[in-house]
Amino acid sequence: MNLLRKLWNNLHLFMALPAILLFGLFFIYPLAQGIGISLTDSNGMAPPRFIGLQNFVDFFHDARAKKDVYNTVFFAIGSAPLLNVFGFLYALILDRPFKGKGFVRAVVYLPAVISPLIMGYVWYFILQPDRGFLYHLLASLHLGTGGSDWLGNANSALIVLVFINVWQFVGMTMIIYLAGLQSIPKELYEAGEIDGAGYLKSLWYITIPMVVQSIKINVVTNIIGSLSVFEVIVALTDGGPGYSTESLSIYILRMLYGSFTGYSTAVAMILFVMIIIPVFLFMRYINKKEFEM
Amino acid sequence: MKNTRTIGKYALVAGMTLLSLIPFYILLYLALNNPSRTLFNGLSLLPDFNFSNFSEAWESSKMGLATLNSLIITVGGAFLIILAASSAGYAIARYSNKFHQSVFNLLLICMMIPAIIITVPLYTLMKSIGGINTHWAMILLMASNGIPFSVFLYTGFIKVLPREIEESAIIDGCTPFTAFWRVTFHFLRPVTAAVVILQGLAIWNNYGQAVFFLQGQDMRTIPLAVSMFFQQYGAQWNLMAAAAVIGLAPAVLAFLVFQQYFVKGITAGAVKG
Repeated sequence: MNLLRKLWNNLHLFMALPAILLFGLFFIYPLAQGIGISLTDSNGMAPPRFIGLQNFVDFFHDARAKKDVYNTVFFAIGSAPLLNVFGFLYALILDRPFKGKGFVRAVVYLPAVISPLIMGYVWYFILQPDRGFLYHLLASLHLGTGGSDWLGNANSALIVLVFINVWQFVGMTMIIYLAGLQSIPKELYEAGEIDGAGYLKSLWYITIPMVVQSIKINVVTNIIGSLSVFEVIVALTDGGPGYSTESLSIYILRMLYGSFTGYSTAVAMILFVMIIIPVFLFMRYINKKEFEM
Repeated sequence: MKNTRTIGKYALVAGMTLLSLIPFYILLYLALNNPSRTLFNGLSLLPDFNFSNFSEAWESSKMGLATLNSLIITVGGAFLIILAASSAGYAIARYSNKFHQSVFNLLLICMMIPAIIITVPLYTLMKSIGGINTHWAMILLMASNGIPFSVFLYTGFIKVLPREIEESAIIDGCTPFTAFWRVTFHFLRPVTAAVVILQGLAIWNNYGQAVFFLQGQDMRTIPLAVSMFFQQYGAQWNLMAAAAVIGLAPAVLAFLVFQQYFVKGITAGAVKG
């Protein structure tokens, strides 16, 4: 009885347990197992054999994997900076007072609430050669439609995918920057004005340093999101033509369906490292910067 | 001078609005066209207003069942996230010790790991607990996906809440545990709103894991139903577009209704926390 009473009084010390158990069972445990599986030749059926780092060695000799790394990095290097630049510009514009501000913000955010898969299908209607909206628009404006197979062409397809990703998530980035902008005290700008700072100067010396928290959140989520890109590619090109738009996430699932379980898990671990390195470097850079200010 | 600037500003804003809306317009346009008119004939801005596409797409994509499945998993998952993440955030923010500190750090690191990485071992786990094609296992999985970010939001928010909020309740005879549920929890509404909306949408839109763990026909969620429909009706754009409209309507409606809380919640949770 006494023990129960004591437990009841100290229950707050166990309040993190449900979250830990849930996360431990469905994430940490499989993650630990995954590290093990990536060191085997597991195919999901026959008993797996330990092969050390062979999968990782194979990865570096896998031409398709190299292409996928290139595609994934291309997509991320295109998406993450563009999202941040446009998200910030959008936030600066929509932070100013004007009629219908709330409505415009909501509309700009709207695409981000929809599954990238469904949004990808929407763009499918726009970008299809011969039948799509853009084709008809160009044709009726007599602008020529010869190179209209934007998704069938390996070079343009990746750029189109970047564009769609930026289009869909610019509102998400914008909202985080808006929140940062609104937390800046107006007095700072007044003080800046007295000191003779113009718009660009106060933007550089007041606004940007004050939204560091927003920059952190946006850059990190954009790096993670763009390096693990999946749905929009599935909807629009399914990795094709050939493997020219295949991302690592898609490759991981393909290998999985092809029963290359061990190899697929090893590629997943490599993707993890590919994400953690830029995030780590960025965090270190920005924390140092913050310290200086 | 001032006038041209104002006009320029409104033109810019109008451009941004149109850029975001045009794909939705094109989708609706297609969804409302007669089957015979799949093309954009010239630049006619009005569709045929054929609403029968919706009923046909609704029936052949079994969207009713998919909506129900999505709803069960989303509500269940979001509910579990609120319970587990808010109480974990409370323990971490208020009762700091080595254990809580390392839990927090671990969750922070795991926030950077995309879920796809654990698909293989997760499949084995799901099989062994009999969780493939079940609502309950999907709810648990979706909740665990949302835990790191939600705990992060709750912890940050509770840290800046004054301790006095629950201290008087403790003096009046509450234990720290009951003080949380009776008092502090009610002050967490802005973060809870952010968590419900962000995680709710993430669960609602999940495709990458649903495609693995919900393979049964009658277990399909909305993204699965839409993608199956697209594979089957690849040539009938009006039906495909109608299915896509049905698929994205719930998320759009929810967003429009909760829009206010949404922006406030994100501001309170993500940036100030």
